Amino acid sequence: MGSATTATAVSERSTRTRKVTSARRRSPSGTVLAYTALTFALVATLIPFAWMFLGSVKTEAELRQRPPTWWPQTFTWDNFAAWFGRLDIGTFFMNSVVVAVFTVLGTLVFCSMVGYALAKLDFPGKRLVFTLVLVTLMVPGVVTFVPLFVVVSKLGMVSTYPALILPFLAGPLGVFLMRQFIQDIPDSLIEAARIDGAGELRIFLRVVMPLCGPALATLAILTFLGSWNNFLWPLVVAQSEDMYTLPVALSLYSVGQNSTNYGVLLAGSVLIITPVLLLFVALQRYFIQGIAATGIK
Amino acid sequence: MIRHRLLAAFAVATASTLLVSGCGRAESPGQTGGAAAGLSDGPATGTVTIWAQGTEGEALQDFVKPFEEANPDVQVEVTAVPWDSAQNKYQTAIAGGTTPDIGMLGSDWMPGFRSALTPVPESIDTSDVFPFALESTEFDGASYAVPWYVETRVIFYRTDLLKEAGFDDFPTDWAGLKDLAKAYQDETGAEFGISLPSGGWNAFLSNLPFAWSNGAEVINEDQTEWTLDSPQMVESLSYLNSFFEEGLADKSPDTESGSASADLVSGDVPMFLSGPWDIPGLELAGGEGFEDKFGVATIPAGPDGTSTSFAAGSNLGVFKDAENPDAAWKLIQWLSQPDVQAQWFETVNDLPAQQAAWDDEALTADPRVAVFGEQLQSVKIAPTLVSWTQVSAAADTQIEQVFRGGKSVEDALAELQSTADSLGTGQ
Repeated sequence: MGSATTATAVSERSTRTRKVTSARRRSPSGTVLAYTALTFALVATLIPFAWMFLGSVKTEAELRQRPPTWWPQTFTWDNFAAWFGRLDIGTFFMNSVVVAVFTVLGTLVFCSMVGYALAKLDFPGKRLVFTLVLVTLMVPGVVTFVPLFVVVSKLGMVSTYPALILPFLAGPLGVFLMRQFIQDIPDSLIEAARIDGAGELRIFLRVVMPLCGPALATLAILTFLGSWNNFLWPLVVAQSEDMYTLPVALSLYSVGQNSTNYGVLLAGSVLIITPVLLLFVALQRYFIQGIAATGIK
Repeated sequence: MIRHRLLAAFAVATASTLLVSGCGRAESPGQTGGAAAGLSDGPATGTVTIWAQGTEGEALQDFVKPFEEANPDVQVEVTAVPWDSAQNKYQTAIAGGTTPDIGMLGSDWMPGFRSALTPVPESIDTSDVFPFALESTEFDGASYAVPWYVETRVIFYRTDLLKEAGFDDFPTDWAGLKDLAKAYQDETGAEFGISLPSGGWNAFLSNLPFAWSNGAEVINEDQTEWTLDSPQMVESLSYLNSFFEEGLADKSPDTESGSASADLVSGDVPMFLSGPWDIPGLELAGGEGFEDKFGVATIPAGPDGTSTSFAAGSNLGVFKDAENPDAAWKLIQWLSQPDVQAQWFETVNDLPAQQAAWDDEALTADPRVAVFGEQLQSVKIAPTLVSWTQVSAAADTQIEQVFRGGKSVEDALAELQSTADSLGTGQ
């Protein structure tokens, strides 16, 4: 009995192996299947975006209609008009841009410097520092949230740009990502530069940084997205409306206590997502390369 | 950074629980937070900062102009705060000592926030405020906030389909409500007769009006003992359960904001329980001509009780860290005047907490608003205990098992009672 089962299992396994090999050879039917599956995945990914863009030009009554409509019965720009007229979207947009740009710049500078030091320099306590970085990566944000706010308020920075930017300038994830990437750069390159008389700063700027393109692009886009979408910290730290960022404003003007204004919500989402989409399209080549190279998923 | 977002989401979920219970425990029983100082004579001066959520926050800055004109040396600074995570914003501000002078606090937040608030000065007249609203602000004999607006739940229904279903008036008792639900289904082609919360957050609370209307209580009068397994409670949950069992209510309704009103507009589900915000909500969802097709009615009374609904609202409180408490109280005093409250209703549809404001034409004009006024004469609030949050969550789970999973009502309530007993009522 036992040997019969084993025999079946073995034969099954060999069938499976054969199947895998044949699929690898890419028979025409396999290709069709693969493309069909990919098309479905693509459509499934795009449908929410299509719904958002189409919904942003529908009236509130149409948005709440059952059964829902795909193509707007009556086009209206009222939802966008609300953002550009009644609501001060310019200020929120500026705040989001300033915060995101400075957070990204700061992260790129500091994380790559720390990453370089941890990867290529020798100094006492290096392992300890790296362990500490990893430890902070594992502390949940909820634990540090209130203490962080108390620190910010004691420094008198509540409701200022520094309060929105400083806490995110050297995230442990960024340090970890840069350290892993820089470690793969051959030591011989750095040694060659050192023999030619270059100082550490020069090596860092002229030799290491130019090789870090994909990692920097990945870090930039991850940081940008994180900063652009961040809701809770800006909500808590910005104590006047002129310091609100886009996600806070979106929540303020569209989601009420008991009801949601879906038109304003969708139009606001379009305005928030579009710049990120454009940025992603512009950087996608580096982004994909960077993710493959660093093994970050 | 992706990780950071996940953490932030987690923070929203847990921080409030941690902080609410933290605030409650930090309270020492004897401390009432400084004597209720009287207000100074003369006009308000200086800058008053106030945080207000959502629509109220958007409209308040313009609304306080007359107050600023009457008090030339005062400047009111309103910050609009999103409802989403608003509690976190207040709690961190309290921890960091950066609170505004005045906060707009949901009546159900009061147990967690009272330790950060100053008692209401005696010179502010709250004698004509709805008693249930005052109750939410009172702890150990002192009041810690002034009720600003109130809300209660009534039944929204389709008036045009009511005639079609063969009814002239909306029923006032349980048997009548069930007959109507059946008639809606049989005569008007509705998919379900009524929409009732069958599970999820606050499902128990949303169904409590039926229990209260049958004489059941969640807790005894002095809030020392839970009374969740009384015969009246069993009877009311069995009544609600029969709607699900007989297919008159959807066991798993869409709970997304606005879906109940969409179903009422389409006629698929012509009845649901909701608050005053759904009057403008339904007019918006129904489009032109729909405003005459729906009405509201008080909760039908059970065999052992009278019509009683759930009430809530928002209060205005002055924080201990306030920089300008004197002017802050004067602003609250102004916002509490009946004529100002009536104007506020016209501005944002908030139902006044001051009963005298209800005589104003703004409120008497719409018969639907009058129904809310009638219901507000007989309402109850959720227990003002820190442990209520946990009991409420346990109750949500139990009724979901009854309505969706077929668990017996008696078993569910017995289990709930023992859970509640172990959680206790102490603050």
